[in-house]
Amino acid sequence: MSAVMQDLKVPPQAGKAGGALKGAIRIEDVVKIYDPEGAAVMAVDHCSLDIPAGEICMIVGPSGCGKTTLLNAIAGFHSITSGKIYLDNELLCGPPEKPMAQPGADRIVVFQNGALFPWKSNIDNVAFGPMMQGKLSKKEIYEKARSIMADAGLSGTEHNFPGEVSSGLRRRVEIVRALMNEPKVLLFDEPYRALDSLTKSVMHEALLEIYYKNKVTIFFITHDLEEAIFLGHRLVIMTSRPCKPKKIIDVDIPHPRDYSVLTSTRYRQLMDETVELVHEEAKKAFSAGEKEG
Amino acid sequence: MNQNQTADLLKRSMPFQTVPGEMLEAIAKLARYESYARGDVIYHQGDFADDVFIVSSGAVQHTLGIGFQATHPEKIVRSGGVFGWAAVLDNQRTRMAKTVCMERTELIRINGEELINFFKATPETGDIVMSRFATMINKEYTMPEEVAGHVPHFTQVPVTVATGLSLTMFRLSQWLKSPKPYLMMTGFGILLATWYLAVEVWKLPRFADMPGLTTVMKEWFSKDPVYGLSIWTPEYYQHIWVSVRRILIAFFLATVLGVPLGLFLGWSKTFREYVFPVFETLRPIPILAWVPLAIIMFQGSETPVIFLTFLASFYATALNTMLGVETIDESYSRAAACLGASKWQVFREVIVPGAMPFMFTGLQISIGVAWFSLVAGEMVAGEYGLGYVINTSYTMVRYPTIVIGMITLGIVGYVSSALVRMAGDYMMQWRVRELALGGR
Repeated sequence: MSAVMQDLKVPPQAGKAGGALKGAIRIEDVVKIYDPEGAAVMAVDHCSLDIPAGEICMIVGPSGCGKTTLLNAIAGFHSITSGKIYLDNELLCGPPEKPMAQPGADRIVVFQNGALFPWKSNIDNVAFGPMMQGKLSKKEIYEKARSIMADAGLSGTEHNFPGEVSSGLRRRVEIVRALMNEPKVLLFDEPYRALDSLTKSVMHEALLEIYYKNKVTIFFITHDLEEAIFLGHRLVIMTSRPCKPKKIIDVDIPHPRDYSVLTSTRYRQLMDETVELVHEEAKKAFSAGEKEG
Repeated sequence: MNQNQTADLLKRSMPFQTVPGEMLEAIAKLARYESYARGDVIYHQGDFADDVFIVSSGAVQHTLGIGFQATHPEKIVRSGGVFGWAAVLDNQRTRMAKTVCMERTELIRINGEELINFFKATPETGDIVMSRFATMINKEYTMPEEVAGHVPHFTQVPVTVATGLSLTMFRLSQWLKSPKPYLMMTGFGILLATWYLAVEVWKLPRFADMPGLTTVMKEWFSKDPVYGLSIWTPEYYQHIWVSVRRILIAFFLATVLGVPLGLFLGWSKTFREYVFPVFETLRPIPILAWVPLAIIMFQGSETPVIFLTFLASFYATALNTMLGVETIDESYSRAAACLGASKWQVFREVIVPGAMPFMFTGLQISIGVAWFSLVAGEMVAGEYGLGYVINTSYTMVRYPTIVIGMITLGIVGYVSSALVRMAGDYMMQWRVRELALGGR
């Protein structure tokens, strides 16, 4: 393993955006085998991936291919069977000593169905992380929460409950709640899956806007190619279960992007190049009869 | 859409509701009909505000811009709803919101200037319509009163925004206009009429010995009741109070013990392995089967009854609370862990509030079964109490008093569940508001 450690490359995108970026993820030969009642199911198969700090890395694959398993391993919700995952060269998990990462505010997940606490007002949700960590005073936390919400265009909704605002606004509050902790990495688990396409397009632009201000590393799971090409620096196309990178594609459309990208020739070309790859895997997954998850 | 249909639509909208018929027709002449497809933007924030809009069918998403201090900047406007009210404000003729059609939408639009000119001829009606506009802007669109106050007024009397009382009156009048109160009264009417007819008019075979509606009512409201119990006798209230006191003690104990037990059962797998099988074995034993043991275990007549009442409540509360914990979406706990919450903080901030909806369902069931087992207990082992009244009235052949006891139980039981529900609503504002927006 030490040999692999040595050829750690300088992240290509990080260099451009300024040297002090944090949040490089290094996935080394990770295997995850689920063992329900003795029937070993391999979800992740010798997967290696380097994500430089500050990159938007889109993980594309059919539903149920095991990409969420990878995300859960980084977040610290699940153990891995073998391999190692590093964040900024610090070991997050690597069996046998440390099969499971500790969940922490440096890697925050934005969940598929949204996980804002419906019993807390929007501002209480945003303030939740720092309040739990107890590093700042309540007054400081709420001042910061108000200003960060104002920056994201959420003024006026502070004292609403999440159930009272539109699903688009809810997603924005959830991302702001994560950013409040100054995380190194944001992990998105198909967050816009349930949104209609109109709201989705608005959310994509809003996410990019937030990203340009904060430059965190984004690990974004999706099965929507359009979304993947529009947002990502790179697409990692996954094989169907067991999952490992099938092909990595650089999206050479310059940032900052807006929705006019969708009509550009380059976007169409990339779409043509990738759609066949993804479709192939989707067919495999379909014929294997895999379930969602 | 013809002019009659337009007038009907105006009549359904809040600002124009009180306008007399012929005037509505005149206003309808100012209106233009339009239809939009899903996704169409009707106007953007900052556009010039020319017309007000009234939705005939479909749905329009109305998003107020930041900086207008609306407490709820988002609103879906549906049939009968009015938007685009910036067109009648006298200080600001620019759009404050963005409006997008969420489905195919048909609407009518009326030029604000023309509408105001029209009302100059009929200032009294104009003021009513404008004050209703102001109320709508303030209450439905949650804009501050300063903004709502900028609707024009035509007479010397300044326009006012509806306050608490008049808003309550408005809601009350809306409720009275809806079929709900009449359906409710019809339901009670059918019950009472069946009782009256079956016993006193038709004298059906098995009903002949039953106390009739008029007999019971006479007895209940009599200053000198034949069988000694009516709303004028102190004994009546003593019985009620004794039962209520037992319920209060039993329900309090069941909640204080049942809620924590349920929370821990749901939260800790290990704890559950120990306790749940015992719990599940004891739970199916009917409360009546506990009566002899309760009398042997506890001294006097008060404690056994309270124990029986407690027991049924306790099971309902604990079990529902446990289910509540189990139904909490795992992503909430995971999100909390991501945000740096410790295990105990997750319990306090996620498990407890997350289980609350089920917990209060449990408490509703709990108060119901509490009355059930209280009456059972009082019939067997009590002195005083409504169950005792019913039982002794039977043995002493005071049939109307039985029914008085039953009706009283119904009323007191209803009030107690309503109180539990109100407590739940008070503690779960988030849920009340969420459900209210869902139209429930």
